[in-house]
Amino acid sequence: MSNGPVLAIENLRTYFFSRSKQAFIRSVDGVTLHIEKGKTLGIVGESGSGKSVTALSTMGLISAEPGVIIGKIGLKTETVQKNLLRDLKDHVKINMSTGRIMSVYKDSLGWQKKINRLMKGIRGKEIAMIFQNPKLSMNPFSSIGKQIAESILLNTSISNRNEAKDKAIYWLEQVKMDSPRLRYYNNPYGLSGGMCQRAMIAMALSSEPSLLIADEPTTGLDATIQSKIVDLLAHLKTSFGVTTMLISHDIDVIKSLSDNVAVMYGGTVLEHGPARTILTSDYKYKHPYTAALLSSIPSQEHIREKKKLQVIEGDVLDTINIPDGCRFFERCNKVTDKIKEQCEHTEPDLREVFPGHKVRCFRFFRT
Amino acid sequence: MAKTILEVKNLKKYYTQSKGLFSSLRGNVGIIPAVDDVSFYIKEKETMGLVGETGCGKTTIGKTLLKLAPATSGEIIYDGTDITHLSSREFYPYRKKMQMIFQDLDAALNPKMRIRSILKEALTVHHKLSKAELKYRIDDLLEKVNLKKNKLSNFPNELSGGEKRRVGIARALAVGAQFIVADEPTSALDVSIQAQVVNLLKDLQKTLGLSYLFISHDLRIVELISHKVAVMYLGQIVEMGMAGLIANEPRHPYTDILWSSLVDKKSSEVNRSNEENKKAGGGGFDFERPLEGCRFAPRCPVYYSKNKPDICTDPSSSPTLRDIGDAHKVACHFPL
Repeated sequence: MSNGPVLAIENLRTYFFSRSKQAFIRSVDGVTLHIEKGKTLGIVGESGSGKSVTALSTMGLISAEPGVIIGKIGLKTETVQKNLLRDLKDHVKINMSTGRIMSVYKDSLGWQKKINRLMKGIRGKEIAMIFQNPKLSMNPFSSIGKQIAESILLNTSISNRNEAKDKAIYWLEQVKMDSPRLRYYNNPYGLSGGMCQRAMIAMALSSEPSLLIADEPTTGLDATIQSKIVDLLAHLKTSFGVTTMLISHDIDVIKSLSDNVAVMYGGTVLEHGPARTILTSDYKYKHPYTAALLSSIPSQEHIREKKKLQVIEGDVLDTINIPDGCRFFERCNKVTDKIKEQCEHTEPDLREVFPGHKVRCFRFFRT
Repeated sequence: MAKTILEVKNLKKYYTQSKGLFSSLRGNVGIIPAVDDVSFYIKEKETMGLVGETGCGKTTIGKTLLKLAPATSGEIIYDGTDITHLSSREFYPYRKKMQMIFQDLDAALNPKMRIRSILKEALTVHHKLSKAELKYRIDDLLEKVNLKKNKLSNFPNELSGGEKRRVGIARALAVGAQFIVADEPTSALDVSIQAQVVNLLKDLQKTLGLSYLFISHDLRIVELISHKVAVMYLGQIVEMGMAGLIANEPRHPYTDILWSSLVDKKSSEVNRSNEENKKAGGGGFDFERPLEGCRFAPRCPVYYSKNKPDICTDPSSSPTLRDIGDAHKVACHFPL
C-alpha cells in the first residue's frame, strides 16, 4: 500500500473539435485521480461528464483529433513504472490566453506512433478493459474461447495452443460461466447479454492485468442479470485482488463495489474520496452535486409515500462553453450569498477537506 | 369510483417464425407466444406498471393495445368499446385518445424535422388549426412539459436525452391523449434526468387526468410511479396487485427474485449468503419451446425446495392467476 497508487492521472485534458460549431468540446478538462493497489475506484457522473473518455485516454485509444493533449498518466506496477504520456508534449503546441486553451496544433501521426510504442506491453497486458457493449466488442465470427485463448497467447508467457485453451476454459470457469467447455465453442451472438459480459470479463482477466478498467459493465442488463454480474465482480475482487477502475452511472453499483469514488461533472472531478462515506445520504460534507445526485434516486421512503423525486434543475453542462466559475454553479442549490460572487467567477480547486477526501467547492474552504 | 378506461381480456399475440423457404407448406412454422393469455384493466387516472425481464413481451403488449401490431386473439376494450377488430378508419378517433411514448426516441423522432414541425404535425393531424391557434397550442405544450422555447428550431439530435423524452411526451399530449403507453421512458437516462421525467409524468397525470401503462425494467421507478403492478414472465402475467404489496410482500417466487436482486436493497441487507440461494438459476428462457405447466419451474427455487412436485410441470394444470385477497393475484401453485 505504501508504494503509491497503481494509476495516477494528473490534470488530463482530452478535447475534441466540433466542425459545425467551430469550437473545442472539452470532454475531459483537468481530471486528477488515483487508484491504490487492490482497491476499486468508482467513477460516477451523468452521461457526457467524461467518464468513458478518461478511461479511453488512459488506454491510449482516442483516435479522433485532437484527442488527448496534455496531462500525466502514471502507471506503477510490479513490472512497469512509467508515464504513459511521456515525451508526448513535443507533438502538441498549445496557444493559451488568460489560462484557457484557445487553439491546439497537434501532430497526430507522430503522437499516434509514439503512443503505440509506449502502450506496447501495457494495453491488454497491464491494463485490461471491459467495454460497455460486450457483443460489439467481440469478434462475431470467432468463438469466444478462441478469442480468449488468442489474448492469452499474446499477453502471457503461455505459447502452447493447448495450454492456452485449458487456460481459457479455466478463466471461463472463474467467471462462473455454465458448462465452460461447451461455451468455449460458442460465438458471441449465441450468448445472452449477461453471458457475453462474463466472457468479456474472462478475456480481460486472462492476461492477469494490474489494472482493470470496467466501463459500464452492468448497463443494458436486466435487474436479475445485473445483480449477478455485480456479485461476480465482487467475488473476483476478493479472490484475485484486481485493481479496478469502475465506471458507471448507477450509483448503487458503485456503492456496492468501490472503495473510493470519484464524482465527475463537465469533464472534471468534483469529489474524490471513500465511497462508503460519500455515498451515504446522511453524510454532510459532500459536494452539492453528489448530494443532488443521491437525492434523485428514489429511496425507500420516496416509494412508500409516493413522494415527488428531487430533481437537479437544468441539464448536463455543455462542455463546449464551460463557464468561468464553478461548473456546477448554474444548477447548484446550495450557493449562499457569501460565496456567490466567488462561485460565479473563479473555479474552486480540488482540495482535501478530510484525509483522503477531496472536494471542489467553496463551501468547504475560503480563498 | 373511477371508471375503467381500458380492459384487456385474454389477449394473445403470437409471432410466427418460418424455418426455411417452404416451411409454411410443410407446416413447419415456429410459433412464438410473445403475449399469451393476458388480462388486466386500467382505471381512469391510474398507472399500471408492467415489469419483467428483456424479451418477456412487455413492449408487445403495449404495441398490441394501440393496434400497432394486430392481436392474435382476445379483446381490447377502450372506454366501453371493443377496439380489437376495428378497421384502421374506424379506429381513427381512438388513435388520438391512445398514444405511446417510444423507448428509442432517436428512432422515433424524425431526424430531418425540427422540433417545431414535429409538434405541428402531431397537432394538425387530427384537428384543423389556424396559425394563431397553432402557436398557442405549441406554447401550451412546451409549458406542460417544461421545455424551453428556443429548442423549437433545433433538430432532435441537438437535444439531450431528457429533452428528447419531453418532446416525445409533448407529441403524445398534442393529440389529446387520455391513455398513454410509456415504453421504458426512463431507460438510458441518468438518475437526475430520470427524476425530472418521472416527476413530469406524475404532474401531467394530476393536471390532465391521464392513465398510463408504464413499461419498465427499472423496478424502483415502477414501484414509485404505479398504483398497481403486473409482473410478466415469458408472455404471461404471473403476479398482479397494488404496487406496495407486490414490492414488499411478493407471493410469486419470480417477483421475489426480481425485487431482491435490486442492487441497492441487497447491499443494505445483512444476510447476503441467504440472498445467494435465492438467485434464479439458468437465467435464459426459450420462447420457441415454452414449458408445459408452469413456465417458471426450471428457475424456481420453490420448485426445487419442494422436491420438484409433479403439479408444476403437469401440462394440464398450468397455474392461472387467482385472487389471494387485497386484489392481489398470483399464478403459482405454491405462493410464498
